[in-house]
Amino acid sequence: MSNRMFQGIIHQMKDAIDRTVGIVDESLTVIACSDLGRVGERAAISVEAFIGEGTFVLDGYTYMPFGEQPHCEYVLFVEGTDDNAVRYASLLAVSLSNIKQYYDEKYDRGNFIKNVILDNILPGDIYLKARELHFNSDVCRVVLLIRIHSHTDVSAFDVVQNLFPDKAKDFVININESDIALVKEIRSGIDSKDLEKLARSIVDTLGSEFYTQASVGIGTAVERIKDLASSFKEAQVALEVGKVFDNEHPIIRYDHLGVARLIYQLPTTMCEMFLREVFKKGSIESLDQETLFTIQKFFENNLNVSETSRKLFVHRNTLVYRLEKIKRLTGLDLREFDDAIVFKVALMVKKYLSANPVKY
Amino acid sequence: MAGLSLKHIYKKYPGGVVAVSDFNLEIKDKEFIIMVGPSGCGKSTTLRMIAGLEEISSGELYIGDRLVNDVAPKDRDIAMVFQNYALYPHMTVFDNMAFGLKLRKTPKDEIKRRVEEAARILDIAHLLDRKPKALSGGQRQRVALGRAIVREPKVFLLDEPLSNLDAKLRAQMRTELSKLHQRLGTTFIYVTHDQTEAMTMGDRIVVMKDGLIQQVDTPQHLYDLPCNMFVAGFIGSPQMNFIESVIVKEGDRYLVEFGSEDTKTRRGVKYRIPLPAAKIEGKGLEEYVGKEVIMGIRPEDVHDEPRLLEEFADCKVTANVEVTELMGAETFLYLNVEGFNFTARVEPTSTAHPGDTIEVALENVKIHLFDKDTERTICN
Repeated sequence: MSNRMFQGIIHQMKDAIDRTVGIVDESLTVIACSDLGRVGERAAISVEAFIGEGTFVLDGYTYMPFGEQPHCEYVLFVEGTDDNAVRYASLLAVSLSNIKQYYDEKYDRGNFIKNVILDNILPGDIYLKARELHFNSDVCRVVLLIRIHSHTDVSAFDVVQNLFPDKAKDFVININESDIALVKEIRSGIDSKDLEKLARSIVDTLGSEFYTQASVGIGTAVERIKDLASSFKEAQVALEVGKVFDNEHPIIRYDHLGVARLIYQLPTTMCEMFLREVFKKGSIESLDQETLFTIQKFFENNLNVSETSRKLFVHRNTLVYRLEKIKRLTGLDLREFDDAIVFKVALMVKKYLSANPVKY
Repeated sequence: MAGLSLKHIYKKYPGGVVAVSDFNLEIKDKEFIIMVGPSGCGKSTTLRMIAGLEEISSGELYIGDRLVNDVAPKDRDIAMVFQNYALYPHMTVFDNMAFGLKLRKTPKDEIKRRVEEAARILDIAHLLDRKPKALSGGQRQRVALGRAIVREPKVFLLDEPLSNLDAKLRAQMRTELSKLHQRLGTTFIYVTHDQTEAMTMGDRIVVMKDGLIQQVDTPQHLYDLPCNMFVAGFIGSPQMNFIESVIVKEGDRYLVEFGSEDTKTRRGVKYRIPLPAAKIEGKGLEEYVGKEVIMGIRPEDVHDEPRLLEEFADCKVTANVEVTELMGAETFLYLNVEGFNFTARVEPTSTAHPGDTIEVALENVKIHLFDKDTERTICN
């Protein structure tokens, strides 16, 4: 809350009670006072004054801390040490505290961004509010969603906030008990590798400093403030899709989801229909773990029989035999590109159906 | 202080990806062990399993005598330094190092003692009041190390901590880390893909590929006695030369034959390099006679000096010089011998120029032979 705002209220209060009234901030400086000459003075109180709850008296003035407990941000003082001064101090502290809370909520940029990404504000209001908050609405920003998998005694939110302390550019928002959103201002045209590096630094810091396991979903960079909501949704989708298809990597970029993203967007009935069409009845279930592992390695090695057999430590002919068996069971010859791609997509669809991820 | 014991450790992800298979390793107390391998070989996953940031699918992990599979990371008495460390930009170096301890409610005087001690060890005591933006890359790296040191752990886990530094600084920090290990007298487990880091810093090196340990040994043994072609090729820079060859026997002598001679036209040359008897004794070379093998020879064992050409007169080959690289203390010659590419590390006084045809000698006592199918070493 600005000192000028406090000054205006203090003047009105002085008119009502006819005593000198003022406010001291945490640096022990008088930031507003009905006696204008005292603004900027160093107050006689100590920092301990900001911790207490009740009034106290010093050098002919009654003091009362106000703001968020337990460590208040301001101390109010009223001239006099009589009962009336104590009553005035208590009363004025309550009203100043409420005014401050209202002001903070109304002009809290963090709260505004939270409303934008959660779609809690009408599109038409976004630009009005942004202008009111002197918010630069046309810079490049990205949303990173940090999901905490293992909870420790340390608050991951505090850590992330300390990593990005520039409150004018970066916003750290608690979404729920496991998710933290970071809305970060970035330079236009930033390489997505740099975004990945940024996400990696968050994961690594949480892991190395606080033994916290985390993963990060990265939305696409957006130029307009109203698009932050979609960037946030993309980050959510990235985490959900990554959980199904790419669970070994803690950083998942929305723009790297590829086919997985398409499958995620398909209705489950269509997926089930596709599986029924591709595989003869029960054929996919008849493939054991070893065969599925073989198929996965075969895909990883770009359908190269020699390379796959080397990686699997089996003879080439053993691999060929296994591929023949798969063909017999499913009707798909994985050495053929078209069949291989159908099989690959079908396996992904199956994985998606069994994981049943949250839809955004 | 503590040793570690990893017994039959596996990491399998729900999707079926197997990142680490049957990992067995005993790490001694105060040892500096390096895990090295190409990206995706499972080295970082193994480190994260030790840290407790990845669940162990099966197997047992002991730190000291304690089975820690189900112990929370914070209770494992370990500290980690990762590649992408981030410092808190608005905090001083002191606060950066103290932040973790503060959040864990460590008493103030204890924090001060630990931070000052770590700063003294890392030689950054004079920087404690500075903010990260006023530090050089190396100083920032030290602060990241300091954050780990203040925890006074039994084991340090370092995951490519020097990768973000430039080459000069990296070389400098390698020495610093070795000194730090000596000063702290703690177990260090260090992951890197850079074989130079592995060779220069570790007491022992674990070479990994595709989630499997290939070889665990001291740097010198790995270099001299690789157990397979992968280790032979991965360790050493420039890497070992590999040439497809055939083993032939002439009387009691075994020879490695390679070249491009066409049996019909008699064009090209076939070279035969005799293998010293002591080298192949008891290696079962008989079964390879007439079969294709891979011959490996390190660049420093390919010579162009007249004295050595004379000494290894029966191991000479004719080579076309394609490129030369003067490195100052040595020169690399990139050669072509009958279609095979060779790299030679020779004296800087070498007079070879691109386009020249020269004679080089292969030091046959240093030749390695590998099975072409299994890629395992036949003899070193």
